[in-house]
Amino acid sequence: MRIVIIGNSAASTAAIETIRAHDTESSITQLSRETHPLYSRCLISYYIAGKLDKNSLLFRGPDFHKKMDVKLNLGGCVSEVDPSCQKVGCTDGSTYPYDKLLISTGSSAKIPDTIPEGMRGVFVLRTFADAESIKRRIARVKSAVILGGGLVGMRAADALSRCGIKVHVIIGSDRILSRMIDYEAAQVVGKRVKENNIDIMTGADISEIMHKDGEVVGVKTNHSQVLDCEMLIVAKSVKANTELVQNTDIKVSWGIETNASMQTNYENIYAAGDVAETFDLAAEEYTVNALWTCAIQQGRVAGKNMAGKQAQYSGSVSMNSLNFWGIPLTSFGITTPKEESAYTILKESRPERNIYKKIVIGNNRIKGLILVGETANAGVLFSLIQNKIDVSPFTGELLDDRFNFGKVLQYGGNAVLDKYYRGQST
Amino acid sequence: MKRVYCIIEKCLSCRSCEIACAVAHSESKALADAVKEHPLPKHRIHVESIGAEETPQTVRSIALQCRHCEDPLCAQACISGGISRNRETGEIINDPDRCVACWSCIMVCPFGVIVRYEDCHRAVKCDHCIDRGSPACVESCPTHALLFCEAEEAPIDNLAK
Repeated sequence: MRIVIIGNSAASTAAIETIRAHDTESSITQLSRETHPLYSRCLISYYIAGKLDKNSLLFRGPDFHKKMDVKLNLGGCVSEVDPSCQKVGCTDGSTYPYDKLLISTGSSAKIPDTIPEGMRGVFVLRTFADAESIKRRIARVKSAVILGGGLVGMRAADALSRCGIKVHVIIGSDRILSRMIDYEAAQVVGKRVKENNIDIMTGADISEIMHKDGEVVGVKTNHSQVLDCEMLIVAKSVKANTELVQNTDIKVSWGIETNASMQTNYENIYAAGDVAETFDLAAEEYTVNALWTCAIQQGRVAGKNMAGKQAQYSGSVSMNSLNFWGIPLTSFGITTPKEESAYTILKESRPERNIYKKIVIGNNRIKGLILVGETANAGVLFSLIQNKIDVSPFTGELLDDRFNFGKVLQYGGNAVLDKYYRGQST
Repeated sequence: MKRVYCIIEKCLSCRSCEIACAVAHSESKALADAVKEHPLPKHRIHVESIGAEETPQTVRSIALQCRHCEDPLCAQACISGGISRNRETGEIINDPDRCVACWSCIMVCPFGVIVRYEDCHRAVKCDHCIDRGSPACVESCPTHALLFCEAEEAPIDNLAK
């Protein structure tokens, strides 16, 4: 069998490992438009900050593709997927016929119209190449502006401030990490962020880029404030890289539509990772959860099915874990429900210790949570979300720092004990 | 593979295992010196009570550590590829040199047995005392509530008892 994989990050790596665990015969050809070998996208901000060197970004050994017997084609830009002829075409004219195809092309940054193309000093932070360009410029940067206060924006802010750069983060909404946490949590974390030479401007946007000789020198905000800067990083939002399938009848909405086997509407074409749209267990709707763990899990499911075995993806949950200068932060699922009255919301705040906890319960199930400052039992609570456990017998104990596996055992009984015996994490 | 199993009926919640674990993972490997170390060594076994409402005489507890899962979620969540199975012994090992302290593993561990070691800026968990030869917690337990054995050999506790 001929397997072709487009993309070279979390989902494709997990798929390759899983395919090879079951099938050592099929040929695997992998096409990536990036020229760098396999690295962890989540670590590139650590590379900018100088915390990790280039080699530490590899999340599998340098001989991974050789060991997995994968023909890796780096820098080969795929231009066309043809489901009826079962082949993939590249810009250089080469074609790759497949029996099974995995599309794991990831996502990229959306660039607002106010940002002119090709201006020096303006960056996005998605790839190792982006991180390299940013790192090369850092020596001449005293002040930087980051547009967007989401995960990528805040990671960029963290990295640049560690390089001694004054950072301004311009955020459209009323808080940092608005898709992950609520206003109160953002205040706790935001305080620590500001202590680290990062200025946060909410309800703001860039109205004009100031430049000199094709280089950015500052930005003007919609509040007519002028910020001098030698660097601008655009991290406002991302979009799934679905361009490849635009002219096919592969179904796309937020991302490429997939079923529980990670198949698209073509049974021999799979999608996984940031490009794939999956069922969200907490929100109970189809969406793209462009997250590392989700990508790995989807890649594993796709890989197993591609190898002719059976695997089902139970669905994705938005999940994030961050460490802000010593304040741990974890969030899952729905953290700021639109209609609060439909949910029971548990909250606890101990600002003197930078602790804030919120648990959103709907229909006796945990739908989402935020843990700031104390995240030790995040995974225990996550297992309650994943397994859709009725939490009504112990709702009053969920916020307790001592809510741990012992409690789950107490209420879950022998079924939970069985997982303990067998070492089953799902 | 062998795992550490706790016989709930026998656990007194004395936390001897926690101390033995911390000492086994200290620099000095001796209690008197370990307590003076900076940073303080951290234990990777955690005594958790099952049922807080009960009286001290009837309270039940479990000494819990990494289950070295068949299909570990922590390894899937790790953004640096630092958590993997030791192919010879089967243990799930987190490589301290690869840990970037993002706490993603803690986010997904359903047993809640991976902990932040802030002083060393990394996550730590049970490694079955691989360097030591056998788990220190098991040897330290005064009531022999801890066993290091295959799942089939572990006496099955019944929580309903």
